[in-house]
Amino acid sequence: MQEFGYLAAGLFLPLFPLSIVFNAILGRVGHPLMRSALLVAWPMAGLLVLSALDDDLPSWLVAWALATAALYAFRMLAMRDITRWTGFLASSAWALLWLPASTDVETSQLWLHAAAFSIPLVVVTLLSRNLEQRFGAAYIGLYGGLALSTPRFAGVLVISVLAATATPLFPSFLSMLGVAVAADPAPAIALVLVWFIWSWAGARLLQGLIVGAAEPSPQSDLRPATTWGYAAGLTGLAVAGLILMGSQL
Amino acid sequence: MIDQLILLLPAASLASAVLIMLTRGAIGRRAAQVSVVGGTVSFLIAVALLIAALSGQDNSRLELAGSWGSLLFDPLGVLMGVLITGISLLVRVYSVRYMAEEPGYPRFFVLLDLMTAALLVMVAAGDLITLLISWHLIGVLLYFLLGHDTRSGSAYRYGFWTFITYRLGDLPLVLAAVVLYTTYGTWSLPGIFDALAANPDAETYFGLPAAEFVAALIALAAFARSAQFLLHTWLPYTMDGPTPVSALMHAGIVNAGGFLINRFAPVFAHTEHTLHWVFVVGLATAVIGSVLMLSQHDIKKSLGYSTMGQMGFMIMECGAGAFALAIFHLIAHGLFKGTLFLSAGSIIGQARRNDGVPKEDLYTFIVERRSARNRPPWLLMAVITLAIPVIVLVLTHLAVAPNLLRNQGVEVLLLFGWVTGAQLIFTTYNLGSQNPWRLLTLIVSSFTIVVVGYTLISHAFELFLYPDHELTDRLYEAAAIDFGWFVALVVLTSVVIVVGWLRAFYTERGRRGGMRPPSHWWRNFHALISRELHIIDIYTVITRTLLAASSRINVWLRWG
Repeated sequence: MQEFGYLAAGLFLPLFPLSIVFNAILGRVGHPLMRSALLVAWPMAGLLVLSALDDDLPSWLVAWALATAALYAFRMLAMRDITRWTGFLASSAWALLWLPASTDVETSQLWLHAAAFSIPLVVVTLLSRNLEQRFGAAYIGLYGGLALSTPRFAGVLVISVLAATATPLFPSFLSMLGVAVAADPAPAIALVLVWFIWSWAGARLLQGLIVGAAEPSPQSDLRPATTWGYAAGLTGLAVAGLILMGSQL
Repeated sequence: MIDQLILLLPAASLASAVLIMLTRGAIGRRAAQVSVVGGTVSFLIAVALLIAALSGQDNSRLELAGSWGSLLFDPLGVLMGVLITGISLLVRVYSVRYMAEEPGYPRFFVLLDLMTAALLVMVAAGDLITLLISWHLIGVLLYFLLGHDTRSGSAYRYGFWTFITYRLGDLPLVLAAVVLYTTYGTWSLPGIFDALAANPDAETYFGLPAAEFVAALIALAAFARSAQFLLHTWLPYTMDGPTPVSALMHAGIVNAGGFLINRFAPVFAHTEHTLHWVFVVGLATAVIGSVLMLSQHDIKKSLGYSTMGQMGFMIMECGAGAFALAIFHLIAHGLFKGTLFLSAGSIIGQARRNDGVPKEDLYTFIVERRSARNRPPWLLMAVITLAIPVIVLVLTHLAVAPNLLRNQGVEVLLLFGWVTGAQLIFTTYNLGSQNPWRLLTLIVSSFTIVVVGYTLISHAFELFLYPDHELTDRLYEAAAIDFGWFVALVVLTSVVIVVGWLRAFYTERGRRGGMRPPSHWWRNFHALISRELHIIDIYTVITRTLLAASSRINVWLRWG
């Protein structure tokens, strides 16, 4: 029974190759709300399963989780489809949850870490759907110059990618710091390297979308009200993260 | 009152950024005025805080939240605050017209104000998390400032080099913070320094001495931020960004490495080896940066390598234990380089109308390659070249603080001062003026004034920044090496320099007899330097290999 529990936890807090299931499902779900729900619910299910397991986690699981996180971070570097890019970042980030889970961190903190990683990805997912509607596909490098052609959209996209790749002041930054403090030295070094690759991949994504001359677009930019909505949401995320995650450090 | 002011210092710039962001549609180009007002308020607050520090106000720590989110009032933070707000204000005023034709005018000022606020939080951070947040944010904001012109692919490409090097430098700082927290159980910087003083031999992971390990990590973070050798490639290539950003970067941001090492001075005081390799890295950077600067044909890249050389010298001063001197150096360099960048445009404009080069001794000697008309006796000049700088340097230091000369770090810096002074007089000899004694007298007087000023100001900095003499003594002690090795290295360095001078002298003399083709070795060396030691080529190959590998894995695992 315990083995099935680990297997289920490895599916929802993705460990390669079980992580393939999540990425395959995310790739097939078309509706943005469904994708968003999947991004929020998937790690929560993993944490529920994990909390039902009463054994101490074996140390090889942490190594496996770190290898998964590194693999998906590395794959993000050359991934041009934003939906799959988001799935890879989710797989990489959620795999890191095994690190605090292997220590005596409280379950409530694990939930906060999971939310801190997932919520910015939801925003990126909603924006990528927007790109698909405008251009027929959400591929990095396929069209550039969004900063000039759709400045409000580009601004929101930049901030949400920064939030997803654990940039301060967003909660994922404080989560990464919290996970690093809870980890042993070798996993902590691996963790910061994964973090570094996220930043690299994030910069490549932004450069492929926002830089360049403005191309004529039949679509208009985000409406001001929608932009304010995204801005308020991201500000709220940062403030909530500072209060909730910051108090845990 | 001090607590309110230290909070207002970054808050003024942050407030102007938020105000511009919220009202950009309504205020349009008046965004620049809002930014300048915010910058002026920040500068006035910084000056008020500096006056308070100079008048003996005690250090204090303002806590905004629980275990982190605190700001320090101390001489180092306040001094850096004045530098940052001063340069930032100049840059903002300069940008009002300079950026007027650029798209995204309000966005530029938002980013500039946010950058100033982040820099001010960094220098005043009272705990590790606040420091990490501001340290990380500076790299992100700089990336977007350098890439302000979103049409320019090259600006983003080189901005990315900066960003990725800064992120690489963030990693050791994060690890240092984790080690400090797990070892001493607090995020507070004063708390950590107190705990370290109480237990300097504390051990961390794998039984490593905590102070030595943390100091090494902090030094690595400083190297990335201050463009030390192998982490320097971003600096000469970031000239595609707006000129005001280049000025801010070369005058302020790149100095952050020197600040970081100073901030953690109590940690470095308890190390045995770290300062030695800090010195070696700084020395290598200073030498390589200067060589690359001299070999550039592009004036902007040359300026970039000049900054690299200066940063190497600043880090070297830290490695010699002269922490306060490094702060003086970074301030002096910041003002000097900021002026260079901000006046570059008008100088180019003037030069187009009139090259402004006087047809005097310097011009005829360097440009027209005319031989000298009058030369003083060779032997007398050799004695003057070698003796006068030593006499000036030693007498000045004896007059200011006799005990300084007992420190190896000061002796090393004196050696560099001697080399610089001797080089200056040697150049005077080569200049071949019609009235060489007059020129020599002027040069020696200028050298004496510079040395006296430098010594007095750096000593004043030390008294202001490090009133605790025990700490400065410990830093010099941590930087010292075995006396025998020290003497051997000084002698070796002196011999290398004198041989270099002799070679330069004979090359110059031989040149008058007709040019000889350069040797095969020399041509290879020149090719290597022209390609900037192939470091960028190597990094490009590594990057392309990694991206190709990532792409290949994605093809293999295409289903998820």
